[in-house]
Amino acid sequence: MRYCFAMSERKTIIDMQQLMLRYPTGKVALSGVNLTILQGQFVYLTGESGAGKSSLLRMFYGGLRPSSGQLQVQKTDMRVAGEAAVRAVRRRTGIVFQDHRLLFSRTVFENVALPLRVQGWSNERLIPRVRKVLEFVRLDDRLWSYPEALSGGEQQRIAIARAMIATPPVVLADEPTGNLDEDTARHVLDLLMGLNELGTTVIMATHDLHLLNSHPGRVVQLHAGALVGDSHAT
Amino acid sequence: MQPDNVRIHLPGGLNMPPFGIHQYLALIIVGVSLWALGSVWMGLQATGQWVGTWQQQMVLHVYLPQEHKKELQALQQGLQAVDGVAQVESITREDSAQWMRQWLGNSTLDVNTLAERLPETLLVRLLDNESGQFVVDDIRDVAERMHAAMNEDEVQLLGMREVLDKAETLIWFVTVLLALAMALIVSNTLRMILLARADEVHLMRLMGAKEWFVRMPFVLEGLLLGAGAGLLAWLLLWPWVWGSSEWLAGSMVELHVGVLLLPLLFGGALLGCLGALIATARLVSPDSVVES
Repeated sequence: MRYCFAMSERKTIIDMQQLMLRYPTGKVALSGVNLTILQGQFVYLTGESGAGKSSLLRMFYGGLRPSSGQLQVQKTDMRVAGEAAVRAVRRRTGIVFQDHRLLFSRTVFENVALPLRVQGWSNERLIPRVRKVLEFVRLDDRLWSYPEALSGGEQQRIAIARAMIATPPVVLADEPTGNLDEDTARHVLDLLMGLNELGTTVIMATHDLHLLNSHPGRVVQLHAGALVGDSHAT
Repeated sequence: MQPDNVRIHLPGGLNMPPFGIHQYLALIIVGVSLWALGSVWMGLQATGQWVGTWQQQMVLHVYLPQEHKKELQALQQGLQAVDGVAQVESITREDSAQWMRQWLGNSTLDVNTLAERLPETLLVRLLDNESGQFVVDDIRDVAERMHAAMNEDEVQLLGMREVLDKAETLIWFVTVLLALAMALIVSNTLRMILLARADEVHLMRLMGAKEWFVRMPFVLEGLLLGAGAGLLAWLLLWPWVWGSSEWLAGSMVELHVGVLLLPLLFGGALLGCLGALIATARLVSPDSVVES
């Protein structure tokens, strides 16, 4: 009962109604999706390849525009949002990619500091902030290393540090454990869970369904662009 | 604490990408092109000075044979009435004798006897910027009507100014063409750097960077590259000056390379900036904001 009350008190962070996405080629990636994600939830987006998981995530940060329907992300209507509004959403969104997309010619510090750098932070403010975030992912001793000197799991932890440094209310993770072995994947998921416990909404697209046993969360299932299952649906 | 051997170089904003081999190559190519342009303009400056020394002394002489001496006043009035003529002076017999004495190196010859045999001479000064063929033709018509003749060698020298004007137009045309080519060279160089940094640009956009923040480093780099090439071109002009100063001094020509510094520096910077704007005009990332 108390849990239900707490849920109802939470703010809606993403809301979509009859969401449809059609690519210029004519292919329909998503069709008639209704979904509401509340602040502080940990949401798994599951489904086969091509089900529409990545397209949905891209719409959450304005990389794709809905073809029809409604999509509100952090109170911004993404169908009509201008460049400034989309930029504002992106500054309040952390993104983790399957291939982590770290800049190999730059140090760990420079990689992690990038989101705050684009917001105008000075180096003096950035150094303690980056160190603190790296402590969270337990890589503070690698501050001045280059990513190529790190293992795959460590690189993904750096990507998580980069996603969380600006303390965004939402972190989107697109198959963050896809290239990792099971133990390393579990560590990465631990970090995302830890981030969620701090109040961040985490939305993670994944194939690794066995991870759901050890790290439970809301499971939203897509199939051929349609929503076919939601563990928290009412 | 930041280690001493680590230099933080964050992308975006006013931080330029580091200079690499592509930038140095572009610097040399644009620098040499600007040097070639600077050399041409310096050549025009030298020719202008050379012709200028004639033009300060440049007048048209009209000669009237002694047997038509009584028409001298009518000829002077007729020439004065021609449009484009500023002044017509008659050269006195004393002046002619004096000139001839100097010309003969103050010899003991009786120059007065020689001067007596010279034709009556009128000195025609043209208005400033008047060297057109029409004025010359009008003067020739008046002179021939009164049995006089013009110094045709002087007429040919007057034509040099027209040739120089045409050369200047041509040099401007070449300057514009080369400027566009140089802007494209800078643009191409920056395009390669942009391709090498496409991931960085993409990430910055995903993190909500403003467009000026993403593009500014490349514009600054174009600006610096162009200005650097302009400075290089200016420095390369000095060997010309040192190598030819003695020879040019004989022709009363003194080159002023200093006046080319600012045009080359700012012209280069402008070209670099133009190249950068061309390079970044279509800077599209996979997740650029799509218009609704």
